[in-house]
This record gives sequence, structure tokens and C-alpha cells, in this order.
Amino acid sequence: MPYPELKGLLTDIGTEELGHLEMVGTVVHQLTREMSADDVKKAGLDAYFVDHTAGVYPTAASGFPWSAASMQVKGDVIADLSEDLAAEQKARVTYDNILRLSDDPDVNNVMRYLREREIVHYQRFGEALRLASERMNERNVYVMNPSFDG
Amino acid sequence: MSCNQSDKSYKLGSLPGARAPLALSYVPMQDSAAPAYEPSEALERGTLFPGLDLPFMNVVNENVPDVPTAELMAIDFVTDELELYLDTHAADREAFQLYQSFLALKEEAHRRYAEAYGPICQRDQLGSDAYTWLRDPWPWDYPVREER
Repeated sequence: MPYPELKGLLTDIGTEELGHLEMVGTVVHQLTREMSADDVKKAGLDAYFVDHTAGVYPTAASGFPWSAASMQVKGDVIADLSEDLAAEQKARVTYDNILRLSDDPDVNNVMRYLREREIVHYQRFGEALRLASERMNERNVYVMNPSFDG
Repeated sequence: MSCNQSDKSYKLGSLPGARAPLALSYVPMQDSAAPAYEPSEALERGTLFPGLDLPFMNVVNENVPDVPTAELMAIDFVTDELELYLDTHAADREAFQLYQSFLALKEEAHRRYAEAYGPICQRDQLGSDAYTWLRDPWPWDYPVREER
């Protein structure tokens, strides 16, 4: 990232998001640490249990394990910030969907908090895109990629 | 409209109160760090800024659980939120002053917490008599076990 104000924002949001991974992992731990084999079956968690017992293993709701394949990097300022904006919206909808399904007030408090963070991040990434575009060629922001062509 | 080289207005679309570039996502800049919630309300809502508080189905969190970390978490949250704001508003002196005042509060709340409950970061152990880092409970060990 060639622009200092964006470097700071990307670092700070990235750090916060790693904290969110810990928070979601903590919720999963707190929900599963005292489950019996019977609870596992009733909850439909049997496949997960066979593979991971009550350990916290980061996967999508569909079971797809978290890996670098879940990430997007294009190496272009506008493309990557647009991707970041979209990622915040996708995360927000994931929390909306969890809130539709969950009736656990302690889980929902955390989901509502995390969901709101995605909205704040969306605002900041949008501001970052504007700050970046102000540093670009004012006639044509797509004239080159400042991450590569300088 | 003329496409004359010295006039680039044809590169802009119109929005109420703003001219925005064509073919680029546009999010308006947040005007100011005010109004702002109080720290505990900010932590409950997930944002310091009422203008960005857009809850699903308009259901909101009402109370941060009364846990020993509550005060520190709320102040810590406000400094993190202000930091993101300052990243895109580095010249906002008022927000910077607010950030400074919360940094001081954070230092104080952190010290109080570590004195009462033990270290939460490496520097809390400076000058400590013994290695207390391993003492329970850790943040995710809430006291359910003792009640069973």
C-alpha cells in the first residue's frame, strides 16, 4: 500500500479482525466445552465432533476450513479496497443470518457487536477509497496501479 | 456537455451535496467524531458513533455484562474506534484531543485492573515478585465450572 494513511487503517482493521477470530472461537468454546455425546448428536454437530472433538477449528458454517484460499489479494489499490468493502458486507450478512437463527442472548450480544463493527469498517474503507482516489490522477483513476507502477 | 480538456466536470456524477467520480464506489466522509456515545454504551452498541449505529431489525444490546474487565474493555474500545476514525481524519484536532483524553483514562484503567486481577499484557509483569502470567482465570474461562 503506497499511501501512509491507508497503511495505518489496513493494519488497524486487520488487527481488529484477528481479535474477532478469537472472539468467535471463544463463543464456540463456551458453547461446546461441556457438551455430552448426546448433545453432539442432537445439535447435528457429529461430523465436527468426530474430526475435532470439542477443539476450536475455524471453518465456514458449511464446513469449509479457513485457509489462505478464503482470502483475496489483487495487489491493486482500487480492486483491493473494493474487495475489502464487499468483504465487510458479506460478513455483515453472515451475522444477520446467525441472528435470524440463534435464540441464545449471550451469543446474540456478541453477534450484534461484531456485525456493527463491519458497518464501521465499511465506512472507513469507503473513506480510504476516497483518500486514495484523491492522490490518483484526477482525470483517470484507472490510468495505472499505484501499488505497482508507483 | 462539452468534453473540453480543461473541464473535467464530465468525470463527475451528481449526488445531493456532492460531486463524486464516475465509475468508483463513493462513501461520504464522516463529518466529525461528534456526537459520540459514552464508553459503556459505545461498547454495547459496537460503535462510538450514533451516525454509524445501524442495527439489524433495530434490536440493540442493552447492557455490557458486569464483569471485572467491563470498564477497561469500554475505554479500550473507544480508543480503538477513535484510532480508526483518525486514520482517515488525521487532521481532526478535536477527535485527537478526545483520543488523548481516552488514552490517559485507558492507562489508568489498565493499571487498576492489573493491580486487582493480574497481568493482561507483558509489561504488567515488570517488577512483579513472581511469574503470575499462568494464573487462572483466563478471559474465556468464565466461572460456570465453579457453579456446577
